Amino acid sequence: MLAFALRRALWAFPTLVGVSLVVFLLTTLLPAVESDAGASADDVAARLRVDDLRRARFLDLPAFLNTTPQDVEARVEECVVHAVADDADAPLCDKRFVQFGGSGLPYLIPGFPDLPPGPRGRIALALAPVARRMNVGEPRDFDDGASAALFWSRFWDDRSVDFTAPAVRREVDRLVRRGSDLREDDLRKVDTFALEQLVQIMRTTTDRDALVRLTRLASHITNHDAVVNANDGALRMRAVVSDWQSWWYVHELDYVALRGGGKITASIAQTRYAKWVLGAATGQLGLSPRDGEPVFDKLVSRAPVTLGMAFLALLLNLGVAVPLGVLSAWRQGRALDRATSLLLLAFYSLPTFLVAEILTTFGRAEEAPIFLPVAALSTVSLAATTQQQRASMIEALGQDYVRSALAKGARTWRAVVVHALRNALVPTVTLAGIQFPILVGAAFVVEEVFDIHGMGWETLRAIESRDAAWIVAVTLLCAFVTTSCLVASDVVYALLDPRAREQQLSVRRRST
Amino acid sequence: MNRRLARGPQAGAIGGWLAVALLLFALFADVLASDFPVLAKVHGALWIFPNVTQPEELAALGVEETFASAEWSLAPLVAHGPGGGVGTGSTAALLPPGRVRSHPFGTDREGRDVFARVVHGTRTYLVFAIAAVFASLCFGGVLGALAGLFGGLTDALVGRAIETVSAFPPVVLVLGIQALVPRASVGTLFLAIAVTRWPEVARLVRGEVIQLTTRDYVMAARALGASPLRVLRKHVAPQVRGQLAVLGAIGVPAVILLEASLDFLRLGGRTTAPSWGETMSEFRDAPGAWWLLAFPGAFLCVTVIALHLIGEARRARLDPKTR
Repeated sequence: MLAFALRRALWAFPTLVGVSLVVFLLTTLLPAVESDAGASADDVAARLRVDDLRRARFLDLPAFLNTTPQDVEARVEECVVHAVADDADAPLCDKRFVQFGGSGLPYLIPGFPDLPPGPRGRIALALAPVARRMNVGEPRDFDDGASAALFWSRFWDDRSVDFTAPAVRREVDRLVRRGSDLREDDLRKVDTFALEQLVQIMRTTTDRDALVRLTRLASHITNHDAVVNANDGALRMRAVVSDWQSWWYVHELDYVALRGGGKITASIAQTRYAKWVLGAATGQLGLSPRDGEPVFDKLVSRAPVTLGMAFLALLLNLGVAVPLGVLSAWRQGRALDRATSLLLLAFYSLPTFLVAEILTTFGRAEEAPIFLPVAALSTVSLAATTQQQRASMIEALGQDYVRSALAKGARTWRAVVVHALRNALVPTVTLAGIQFPILVGAAFVVEEVFDIHGMGWETLRAIESRDAAWIVAVTLLCAFVTTSCLVASDVVYALLDPRAREQQLSVRRRST
Repeated sequence: MNRRLARGPQAGAIGGWLAVALLLFALFADVLASDFPVLAKVHGALWIFPNVTQPEELAALGVEETFASAEWSLAPLVAHGPGGGVGTGSTAALLPPGRVRSHPFGTDREGRDVFARVVHGTRTYLVFAIAAVFASLCFGGVLGALAGLFGGLTDALVGRAIETVSAFPPVVLVLGIQALVPRASVGTLFLAIAVTRWPEVARLVRGEVIQLTTRDYVMAARALGASPLRVLRKHVAPQVRGQLAVLGAIGVPAVILLEASLDFLRLGGRTTAPSWGETMSEFRDAPGAWWLLAFPGAFLCVTVIALHLIGEARRARLDPKTR
């Protein structure tokens, strides 16, 4: 049985890949950011800004296969080439050197002797903001290119020992455990080289003072404005940390060099699709542009409302539909049966929002008893469930074992409930698994009408403000829920009816 | 649903008559409710159905002028079009039904006549839903037939695509497409709805094709040298046609419901075309104006019931168990 469940679950995997592809393609259809930034080639700051916007959506990466993944080493080398050639991109590269900061130095300064004096001086001068950031050197060191180059060579002679991963890790550990301004100052002197360790340790640190220091340091180095203040609450701390995680996820290769096997995996991992899928799978769904809250946190707080409501509606639906279906099967063709089918036809034809709107006259938002929205929601699938229950019950009632039960002298209710219903329930229960996603979809409308702040309500607000991150997250979650429900429904069916197992594995035609 | 009701010939007939009535409403929407007269004699010339043909001379005159300068004119049942406040009589917003004789169903928040919007909305919804279902039938039918005929890789790809699209709840998929596409419009809504519906069609056609192509008479036809296309046309199509018609008939009311929900959420991307969902959504800003909810809602219900009854009656006729 377990084997069957596992096999069925494995089948859902290609579907999930397909789902991720569909959503991915939809997101790439979003209007290009270039148009709203309106940048010209000369405006270096605007170009950097546009680059950043593009990178936040991984648009700088190829879609599915990256043959030349760019790490910090490759980026520095490319910029050095531009600086030597002194072409149109040279001013942009000056800014880039500042961005790479300490992480770029190991690939930059040792190569200084091989560069012609002109570009060498230019690069050394361009690095002046880095020195200021590190709080090293005097203003007069950067009076001209030659002295600046000399300064950086000396700097490297003195301090290259600090630019190793173990040394930085030790320093960061100490800063977290026993923070002091002196240690913070020491870490400033390796600049962006410390970022990897800083961001990594943020994930596991819960101490506020340590986080204040870590985020202050990271923000000082990168100009990315996300700082924990001394009097911030836990919520804000989480938001800032997740902001840094997603920032690092986007910018990692500006500061880290790929080594050995990393280069091979990067050709797949450093693509738009892989970055996006991995980010979504690990809960890095980005920040909501509306309130700066991490989308993942918001999803965790909103989804239970919607899913819970849909689940209650499903229970109510089964609670009403099963007795109704049994009754109308038992009294097939009589007045009760006819009345039921008329009522159900009416329920089917009434759109959910209309039912919900009528029910809101009894109260909406907080003052509405939870029964009202759940009742409105359950009308969505009431007709289909009752219909199913009635049909399977009619079939069961005609079976020989029901007749023999009656012939044996069993009471009518016993024959109907114990003998017939037990078997007739199987298709209805498995149908419920298919209906749950439909109810989740309908809950979007009901939430809006009743003003319940769940996933659907949030989605409609997100559509108004074009919050793509949230819409993508919700779409993915819904697809995931649907797929899991289908798998669960198949497994339950196979549990209740072993004959269905092989059939399901060979002919995969489900009606949804 | 409602086999009991649908089984008897009378249920299907009721659905059919209702559908005919709706079609007439859609066809003669301009005669039932329009700003322009149905017949008018203006400056000695007799205009027949100027509200349908929209002649330039009268359009240049404007509505008020036309009525004023006409020797005689015959106004439509309701002398208001679905558009905003132009025309004769009162244009007050949120008039309850019956208050003013020229607005039998009252007016909405912008002073537009609810009757006109409901009647013209019939046309919008029927045309849209039938077109969307037709598109999904064509698309799903072709893909399903290809998958069933060729098998192998084609079948696997189509199968994956079917499962992928069915993995989204329809409302969520349509919402997602409308939200993520740069400029959401009626066109994208149309595509989105067609996208949510084709897997069902493709699944059915694929299954039927696979089942039919193993039958003896199809094998015989192929052995005689019939091309796959001929097999599809002569042997498979006649068998599948009935079931496709059922899917279509069941699909139209479902699409209408979905579309109305989206219009209600104001995500339909509509601009000026009258729509029931839009009128009903105005109720949320004007609580107490029950007529905004009741009349379009009633039309919606009747349309869905009528089309659904037809679909179920067709299904019952195909189903050997109930025949």
